Amino acid sequence: MARRVVWLLAAIGVVVSGCTNDPYPDADDAHKVYYTAFSEAPRTLDPAVAYTTSSHAITGNILDTLLEYHYLKRPYQLIPGIAEAVPKAEPQPDGSVVYRFRLRPGLVYQDDPCFALGGRGRRSREVVADDIAFELMRLADPLVNSPVTDPFSNIRGFAAFAGRLGALRKQQPDFQQRPLRLQYAAAGGIEGVEVAGPHALRVVLSAPYPQILYWFAMEFTSPVPWEAVAYYDGDGGRDRFEDHPVGSGPYHLAQYEKQFRIVLEANPTWYGVQHPEWAAPGAVYPSEGEAGDARAGLLGPGLSGRSLPFIERIEFHREKESIPRFNKFLQGYYDAQGIIKESFDKVIQNDRLSPEMQARGIVLKKSVSPGVMYLGFNMTDPVIGDPAGARGRKLRQAMSLAIDSKAWVDIFLNGRGVPAQSPIPPGIFGYEPAYQNPYRQVDLPRARALLRAAGYRDGIDPGTGRPLQLHFDTYATSSQQLLEYQFFVKAWREIGVDVRIDATSYNQFQQKVANQAYQIFMWGWQADYPDPENFFFLLTCAMRRSTNGGPNTANFCNPRYDALFNEMRVRGNDARRLVVIRKMRALLENERPWIELFHGEDYTLYHGWLRHVKPFGMSVPMLKYRDLDVRERARLRAAWNQPVLWPAWVLLALVVGVTLPAVLTFFRERQ
Amino acid sequence: MLAFVVRRLFYGFFVVLGVLFLLFILFFAVASPDDIARRALGEKALPQALEVWKVNHGYDKPLWPWQARDNLLADHFRSMLSFDFGRSDADDVPIARRLRQGAGVSLSLTVPIFVLGLGLAVLLSLFVAFFRETYIDTSGVFLCVLAMSVSILLYIVGAQYLVAKLLRWFPISGYDPDLRVVARFLAMPVLVGVLSGVGGDVRFYRTVFVEETSRDYVRTARSKGAGELRVMIFHVLRNGMIPILTRVVLAIPFLFMGALLLESFFGIPGLGSMTVDAINNNDFATLRVMVFIGSLLFVLGQVITDVSYSLVDPRVRLE
Amino acid sequence: MLPPYLWSNLAVLLLFGAGVALGVYLRRNRLWREALSSLVRRRPLAIAALCLYVLVGLLDSVAWVGGPAAGADTVAAHEARSVIDRVFAGTPESSYSAPLATVSFYGAQPLESPRGHLLGTDILGRDVLYRTLKGARVALLIGGLTSLISIPLALLFGVGAGYFGGRLDDAVFFLISTLASMPSLLLLIALIMVMGRSTLSVCVALGITSWIGFARLARAETLKLRELDYVQAARALGVRDRRIVLRHILPNLAHLVVITLVLMFSGLVLSEVILAWLGIGVDGSWGQMIDQARDEFSRDPIIWWNISAAGGALFGLLLAVNFIGDALRDILDPRTLREDA
Repeated sequence: MARRVVWLLAAIGVVVSGCTNDPYPDADDAHKVYYTAFSEAPRTLDPAVAYTTSSHAITGNILDTLLEYHYLKRPYQLIPGIAEAVPKAEPQPDGSVVYRFRLRPGLVYQDDPCFALGGRGRRSREVVADDIAFELMRLADPLVNSPVTDPFSNIRGFAAFAGRLGALRKQQPDFQQRPLRLQYAAAGGIEGVEVAGPHALRVVLSAPYPQILYWFAMEFTSPVPWEAVAYYDGDGGRDRFEDHPVGSGPYHLAQYEKQFRIVLEANPTWYGVQHPEWAAPGAVYPSEGEAGDARAGLLGPGLSGRSLPFIERIEFHREKESIPRFNKFLQGYYDAQGIIKESFDKVIQNDRLSPEMQARGIVLKKSVSPGVMYLGFNMTDPVIGDPAGARGRKLRQAMSLAIDSKAWVDIFLNGRGVPAQSPIPPGIFGYEPAYQNPYRQVDLPRARALLRAAGYRDGIDPGTGRPLQLHFDTYATSSQQLLEYQFFVKAWREIGVDVRIDATSYNQFQQKVANQAYQIFMWGWQADYPDPENFFFLLTCAMRRSTNGGPNTANFCNPRYDALFNEMRVRGNDARRLVVIRKMRALLENERPWIELFHGEDYTLYHGWLRHVKPFGMSVPMLKYRDLDVRERARLRAAWNQPVLWPAWVLLALVVGVTLPAVLTFFRERQ
Repeated sequence: MLAFVVRRLFYGFFVVLGVLFLLFILFFAVASPDDIARRALGEKALPQALEVWKVNHGYDKPLWPWQARDNLLADHFRSMLSFDFGRSDADDVPIARRLRQGAGVSLSLTVPIFVLGLGLAVLLSLFVAFFRETYIDTSGVFLCVLAMSVSILLYIVGAQYLVAKLLRWFPISGYDPDLRVVARFLAMPVLVGVLSGVGGDVRFYRTVFVEETSRDYVRTARSKGAGELRVMIFHVLRNGMIPILTRVVLAIPFLFMGALLLESFFGIPGLGSMTVDAINNNDFATLRVMVFIGSLLFVLGQVITDVSYSLVDPRVRLE
Repeated sequence: MLPPYLWSNLAVLLLFGAGVALGVYLRRNRLWREALSSLVRRRPLAIAALCLYVLVGLLDSVAWVGGPAAGADTVAAHEARSVIDRVFAGTPESSYSAPLATVSFYGAQPLESPRGHLLGTDILGRDVLYRTLKGARVALLIGGLTSLISIPLALLFGVGAGYFGGRLDDAVFFLISTLASMPSLLLLIALIMVMGRSTLSVCVALGITSWIGFARLARAETLKLRELDYVQAARALGVRDRRIVLRHILPNLAHLVVITLVLMFSGLVLSEVILAWLGIGVDGSWGQMIDQARDEFSRDPIIWWNISAAGGALFGLLLAVNFIGDALRDILDPRTLREDA
């Protein structure tokens, strides 16, 4: 009997010693591995199609682009990436604009079996201008279905190429069996994309579009080897290209189980590693920055000019629930994390990092993310849209006056957001901090007066004799998101308007959108690039969801607005541009297709062992610039995660104590 | 016996057909091939791209046999019955590969819950039945009803808070198939799974055991001088296991399907979370494979239950 | 066309009426009378608690339009508001406040309601006690209405299959197996999507997915009952099947029906909590409150009153129901019933 008890205690001891909450293998502790979490699996890694933050988090590290953003300078500045210089616009007499890129010679792709298609045993080759032209043609290819064909349509011959390609495919049934690059060659390529040598690319725009350079800083224009697209077709056990991109960037994709874990490893053939003597701007740590960067430890003689990347491996782990994700960050198992509202007060006290966080060496960095969240009205709706004329406009204005953005941001985001007065966020040209939109200040009496003028006295719809009933359409059915919408409902009920939340499945929502059967909705937009055009275009006639399936979900269409937009679009950031923007703002003030809610602020927490981190804002990953101190991390993790074992012993003692009397009685009775 | 098994399997085949048919109706009552395409390609997809996608995935046909000879319903039956699972609608990954990966993961969660749960419940209910009518019995029953009245959601939230955050015994969530560390990740979900089910099980088993103890043969055994403990283990337990086992064997087929909630909250990439993802993503291809396998396992489980019942209890005769 | 909330109010009142009628009907039988009084003796607390929940549910089901709208919400005056709605009418706060506090939780602003809130307020400033009380009606509806749909279905198929056997038995077995081998989650989601997200559709969907267990039990019992002497005799005498089923089979299943009703109740209410987590539950249920509040527990300082109120109310109801069901099972054990006879 005693022997059995000893065995039992030994077994418990073994189990207890294995007790730890460390989710990573011990061997990794010595390596420079960066751990981060993702909640939504990326849908595709095809650079021509990937348009979400979760995809860019990966493609941005694997693929190089002709141009890049400077890591430290604000306002954002473009620097050369794999191009030798940022080209200047060269306006031509016929109205077109030419940009000439010189590609750096000597860049090679990561090692990959797909290059055997170009020669037996080949595992890599040089990056050439043809590869960029190939990718631009892929953007035009209707079968690729890229979501960003609109900005690229400014390239001369872009749409024509797509048309010819489609026609050839329709005419000749076996045309599509040919390799893609031959199909493109047969369709004649894009007129405005001229390859003048292995390292020379000439892009011709049919009309001025200065923002095109920003698109050359995005993965949509990365060089893509035709071998990868041809080889990774999904047959014969091979991956599909959307799961297996091949690039020349600082990292390569080592493991891709997108429902679970994604691993990037440093690419030994990256030009920054192979040719440190070039001191290429995109491959070395910058030596200039913003005022205050040096003090923040982001600049220094020991850093300037050092070769990138510093981190050996990046691991993305899937975390569907936000609380486990945040708690693992606090335990040191993720290196950086955005704040969630549940933990806000533990982390931030009096608008500063709490002492407990500071004691752990955690650093808080705030940045206004260049985006805007808004409530939109469907302008084709007969009650609240254009068909209702002045009446509808007054109704929209009244509803706009009832919403207190600041209160919403305080409750649901702990104040991490700037109440929005117009579509333009801080940091983008056209944003004026002093501007106050008269319809974005809460004024209930004025709202009620406007409702009366619109024919809805006290909110009563004269047609029914009951409060005006509108519906708020969403496909988010989670209980927590419904709370966010109920805030708005509560506000509108105070002016007498009865808004019902119509939460349906995703499918039914798409049906409603397709049938124009929606009235009020909540939407958002994140800047692709730092230019006001990227926000104002959301309200142009050409982008309407109803006619063209575009992102103008409010279906707003105003000829005077469009005229102002076209003027503003092509100007540089000068005084005249600001005047035009102010006029557009005034127009939107009055028409109220949107109720601008807020511009989100990112509060990101970084552990103290991370080095020279500067949050970027737009979804452009800059992980090659980051570094971490592995030993310090291991030390702190161990210190923070000692298991608390005494409750186990107490529990055991309790169980024994409770059952002992009964067991003893039993044994006694047996005698 | 053999004739019985064959007949039951034959019935089972029709059940599987019925399930496939029901699934088809249910799914396409709430979604259409266009919806599946749109989910896969994203909102911004042009109608042209949707058509191409549908052709590539075989969804460009009409749904019903009376609409055309070449129709989706026939395809559905044909591919399922020939075990041609194809690729997922959401991301084109071969479903068979996902099944293999996910099955092991799900089993590593559900089998421990099943075995430990059964063992613990039997032990506890024997203990309580042994001490029936004492304070152990009444408080035991009380605790069971208490345990049964708490939602599993609250168990999960509580466990993550208490065990992972405060006591720091195990990681809050995540999974690593590496055998050296996998136990760390499974400890909490298994614990929650066992605890949330033990209340109801112990209630039921206790009733069975207590009923057994009042039977004639037990009285006989006692009068022959057998100790109470011996009586419990050799007579009550063995005979009580019959009704318990029949209830329990029915659950075995579903061990494959994984525990949906536990996998979601604890980040375990098994078949259960795969099913939930498929439902959310309108991934008909994956969903029907999961349901098909589930129904196969169910039919098998029924047959095994009946056969084992007859083997264990000689009074039962199968006809 | 009556608005949906009026339908569900009618349903609650009807359920209550049906319950009372059943009680009156059962009391005429001596065995049942004794069983019921035995129950009250053994579980007075549980019965009292259940009665309290039922009372609250009823109070929330008596609703009418009209009367002044207190506070800022001017739309409310045009909606049907129940007794409980009117008692708690008033301007909601802006956001959280702790139980019995006089200032808001964040920012310590004075509250709109000077008396404070007994159980605090939630993220939108709504009184937690008010929301908890309203949840009682929803829980009773989910448990009661669904059982009302589920049990007759189960009896119809189970007794029919057991009594008539043969082809009908095969067909019912087929139906049961088909439904049982589908993940009920899938069925529920599909049914609710098709029927829309209302209380009635959730109850119908839950009813359709939960009748199988009892049907199997009813079938097994009917098989046994069919072999009883007096049933065999009745059949030999040529008594019509319908009469036999109604007069001999069903009354002998009554105790099982009662036990199952009570025990199924808690299972159904717990299922709704899961549905709420998936986003397809009933609006205003405790499950929805728990799901909305589940992250509040991790806040620092902790916000515990939301999830505690909803969880506690849920727990209390289920505890009472489970204890009653437990005691009923012991009381209605056929052995004890037969011995008394």
